[in-house]
Amino acid sequence: MNIGQLNWNRIALNLSALLLRWLLGAAFLYAGLSKALHPVDFLKLLRQYDLVHSSLLLNSIAAALPWFEIFCGALLLAGVAVRGTAVTLMVMLVPFTMLVFHRALAIQSALDIPFCAVKFDCGCGTGVVFICHKLLENFLLLLLSAWLLAGYGRQFSLRFDLIKSKPADIGLKR
Amino acid sequence: MNDGSIQSTGSGHKSAVKRLLLEAAFVAVIGALFAFAANRVSPRGLALSRNYFPEETGRFMLPIPPASQPHNAAGTNAPTFDPAQLLAAELKAKGLQLIDRSQALQLFHDPRFKQNIVVFVDARDEQHYRNGHIPGAFEFDPYRPEKYFDAVLPVCQAAEHIVVYCNGGDCDDSETAAVLLRDVGIPSRKLLIYGGGITEWITNGLPVELGGRNSENIRNPGK
Repeated sequence: MNIGQLNWNRIALNLSALLLRWLLGAAFLYAGLSKALHPVDFLKLLRQYDLVHSSLLLNSIAAALPWFEIFCGALLLAGVAVRGTAVTLMVMLVPFTMLVFHRALAIQSALDIPFCAVKFDCGCGTGVVFICHKLLENFLLLLLSAWLLAGYGRQFSLRFDLIKSKPADIGLKR
Repeated sequence: MNDGSIQSTGSGHKSAVKRLLLEAAFVAVIGALFAFAANRVSPRGLALSRNYFPEETGRFMLPIPPASQPHNAAGTNAPTFDPAQLLAAELKAKGLQLIDRSQALQLFHDPRFKQNIVVFVDARDEQHYRNGHIPGAFEFDPYRPEKYFDAVLPVCQAAEHIVVYCNGGDCDDSETAAVLLRDVGIPSRKLLIYGGGITEWITNGLPVELGGRNSENIRNPGK
């Protein structure tokens, strides 16, 4: 393999990493905006999960979550604190996916239909979806977040690492 | 090794993880502050201290009956699940009455409708209302009641029958709106919930008014 080919491979990898970072950012921006524009609809959907019984807590989640997603989406698009944002998204995605999964199981057992035939509006910002598609989508989002966490997608970043490493943290061997 | 490369040591790795977690915490805190601030300034933002669901209905937490009931065609003693009966019973417990399409239509054609003695109240949001509502219906989004009380309350106080509707099906906004009206002093005997809602109304080709109230932009005016 010559140097030129290596460079092309690297350019392709960098470009796809950038596009995937933007894709993840855009996905969260879209999901957040669609909820922020109709917060009451989101509140009603959230209530169906029977997560909390305090209206203050329920309202707080419904009010903050869409804008939080918009914030994270914007950070990814701009390339600011990318790895920290990826961790935050993963921490959010795992419990949300479990909640959606549990609700789908409840619907499945009530309707007595195959699991993948279950469809409902999970409050994810994409309307009524088949559960298997939703779970696959969330798995892909998790995978993308993990990929960014591994350090990919640095191109066109305003500030990829918000907290820079100090020289003392790195072993400098000469 | 003397190649001038930079290599992470064990402690360097630990501090890199620490930095990453710190960065994630920073994103979470700033993100949360941004989120609450944005909700506060957004014209559609939620009021955190308001109870949007004053009476927990849970009517359609699962929009379907338990599997053991409706599939029992083989002569077991399982009760028959009838959503309309269930809903009527729930509403009755709150002092509200469920009406069907023919009753709603009868009230719509009642001469007292023109005099606001019979009143229709649309419990959906502004966008849905403007996309099409029962002609002459008052807009009353129960999640933004402060916007509509001034226009709707005096009319409801003077009316004898108030038909409240939303989308129909699993929508319980009409019930929320009726409970809200009841709680501000409208006698519950006046409040009638049209369960089929606008969806059933439109499906049956009944007249629909587009835009604001009394816009005279009516679809299917003859019915």
